[in-house]
Amino acid sequence: MFAIQTDNMAFPSGGVRVHHRMEKFMGDDPPKESKKTSDQAFDLWLKRGLHQLFDDVANEPIPEELLKLIEEDRRD
Amino acid sequence: MTKSFHDQVIAILPKLRVQALALTRNRAAAEDLVQDAVCNALSAQDSFAPGTNFPAWMHRILRNRFISDLRKKRETTDIDDMPPSFLSTNAPHEDRIVLKDLDAALARLPDDQREALVLGVLEGMSYQELAEVAGCAVGTAKSRVFRARRQLEAWMIGEEHVGADRLKAQAAALQRKVERNTQEKTASSRV
Repeated sequence: MFAIQTDNMAFPSGGVRVHHRMEKFMGDDPPKESKKTSDQAFDLWLKRGLHQLFDDVANEPIPEELLKLIEEDRRD
Repeated sequence: MTKSFHDQVIAILPKLRVQALALTRNRAAAEDLVQDAVCNALSAQDSFAPGTNFPAWMHRILRNRFISDLRKKRETTDIDDMPPSFLSTNAPHEDRIVLKDLDAALARLPDDQREALVLGVLEGMSYQELAEVAGCAVGTAKSRVFRARRQLEAWMIGEEHVGADRLKAQAAALQRKVERNTQEKTASSRV
């Protein structure tokens, strides 16, 4: 599994903006921490984006023709 | 109770579709690819050893079929062929634009990187499983996911090139400069 560890963060289109904003909020946080947070936010955003792009396809009903093909082979 | 071979094929169809769409970038082509891969799997079912990793075996068949088809005919990418979810979605307009950008960025990734990223992130495959599917080393699978993710992030925040791509761009620029200088020298020596 990959580094998608947070489930409660949004990642709007401006990744860099988020990064800077978080630095402001967190004050003296070392840059490494901010980078990690930014990476996690991007990973979460990416995961959600991929779900939106691909879930439809995964959830579509299986074509009857394909199921028939498999069932016919099972009977052989 | 263990699932029969055919039950396992039916159960994995949604995941095969995701892999097929990640590879082909075209819904109709993805449907065809899944069907062809299933036909191949049914023909080759005797070569599957029960108790071994069925998903990896099945995903590998689909991948091999894609590569074999690709050799015959390079597929076309159609940006209008995006899932209807983000054309008809309730998501705010801005989100849809970003999704469209993400889709376009995914299309720019090499097939193997896009496949590894999608299977890893959406299907939760480990690097080991990705390596089995792609028939490559675990390190290669890891690198594909890493590079895909890094490249997408760079594109989505507006950086055009990262890593090797940036080096290639720099090398190409240098090459053009050298050629220009050579041409100028040749031209001035003629005068």
